[in-house]
Amino acid sequence: MNKHSSYVPKGLYPFKTILIISLSLIVVISFYLISSIRTESFIWHFFVKFPNVIGLIGDFFPPDWSYLEQVWPKLFETIHMAIIATTIAVIISIPFSLLTANNVTTTTWIYQFMRFLLNITRTIPDIILAVVFVGLFGIGAFSGIIALIIFAIGILVKLMSEVIETIDMNPTEAIRASGGNGLQTISFAIVPQVLPQFISFSLYVFEINIRASLVLGLVGAGGIGQLLNKEINFMNYPAVSTIIIIVFAVVVVIDYISGKLREGLV
Amino acid sequence: MIEFQNLSLVYPNGTEGLKNINVKINEGEFVVIVGLSGAGKSTFIRSINRLVTPTNGALFVEDEDVLQLNGKGLRQLRTKIGMIFQSYNLVKRSTVIKNVISGRLGYTGTLQSILNIFSKEDKLLAYENLKRVNIEEKLYNRADELSGGQQQRVSIARVLTQKPKLILADEPVASLDPPTSHQVMKYLKQINVEDNITTIVNLHFIDMAMEYADRIIGMRAGEVVFDGPVSEVTEKTFEEIYGRSIRDEDRRGGVEDE
Repeated sequence: MNKHSSYVPKGLYPFKTILIISLSLIVVISFYLISSIRTESFIWHFFVKFPNVIGLIGDFFPPDWSYLEQVWPKLFETIHMAIIATTIAVIISIPFSLLTANNVTTTTWIYQFMRFLLNITRTIPDIILAVVFVGLFGIGAFSGIIALIIFAIGILVKLMSEVIETIDMNPTEAIRASGGNGLQTISFAIVPQVLPQFISFSLYVFEINIRASLVLGLVGAGGIGQLLNKEINFMNYPAVSTIIIIVFAVVVVIDYISGKLREGLV
Repeated sequence: MIEFQNLSLVYPNGTEGLKNINVKINEGEFVVIVGLSGAGKSTFIRSINRLVTPTNGALFVEDEDVLQLNGKGLRQLRTKIGMIFQSYNLVKRSTVIKNVISGRLGYTGTLQSILNIFSKEDKLLAYENLKRVNIEEKLYNRADELSGGQQQRVSIARVLTQKPKLILADEPVASLDPPTSHQVMKYLKQINVEDNITTIVNLHFIDMAMEYADRIIGMRAGEVVFDGPVSEVTEKTFEEIYGRSIRDEDRRGGVEDE
């Protein structure tokens, strides 16, 4: 009786749990320390080097507004690239997303092959695509456009085939039963069900393409990114800040318009 | 005329959908297939337009063995066979008129239909058929804005736009309330009589089968266990078909009130 009442539980967790948590913590901290030592990157450098950062930021101001005249043509080139790439990617994606949806493409090997192809496409980052195409087609907007098309197809086909797989298949049965062929079934029973999402995804991919084409310019694939890269290399910081402000404003405006359009659709 | 000759169907998982069916259906008949769910009514009806493929025997529709047809031949046969479904199977986001005119797809070229080009006659036909089921004022409504009974009427108009020789209806009233069910059955019966279109309907309500059928075929476990004119059918017949006594749920009840 006495023995019982004198027992006080040691903690709120069993010993085993405490052991596992402690060990995990030790492992995580060791990994962090090893990584920091090997790369010679320590987080306090942020504070040590902060005065440099402030000095550099000072170089960016005031922005060089007279530089604007040189920004516009390249900015429009970026937008043109995104428009061309999105349009072509959308057209190519239509048959591909049908072939990658398992309720439309019932032949297993075709479907599996298309899935495989799509997954490979999506594992390649857009910047790597741009590097490859700049190597193949030379510096300029064309290489960037090709890279954006492939990048956009990867996203669109993935999104679209998943939407197609969730549609109501009953109307397709009705069209088949009335003597319609495969293409008629697609255009009468499938397309009306997925069209709003398809347009919405296309606008979304356009937004992504605008942002992606900025980055692609850094490796010479045309557009305003190329200009940005040049001015950074010349350390012409007031021009750089002009570019950044303009790009920010344009991306915000395009995202807003496209977002509003998509809201109206779905 | 439709003729089933020793027709059997075994599904890939081994289920026997139809067992050695021998049935002859004459032109202009209104046949109701009754049986519990799983009895093979749906398989029976879907064999006729080859939405399912029987594994043995022969099935003649208009003197053609549907088991031998493929591709274009099969599509041509299907244009002559209209089908009505339990869940209406309309494209919900499309307008009523677009759903109805899709009955012409089997007669229209692929490119034309993708571009939505239909002849004046086709459009007139679609509109006339909407009038026939009294729903022409919903012409430009989206199909999902309509009630269940209205959607089923649109699907009847779609079938009529095919100008079929034969109408198949797979549980056309199972999702509807009693008054609407009678309304839909009356349209089917009226079309059968006026246009002399052979009509085969799956039902599991015995009172509705008695009211609308010329002839009743009873099915149980993939076999035809009764086949005869409605005048020979009594409650006892249904008990034999169902293999149990008749319950309340086997009756639809109610009358049409418009």
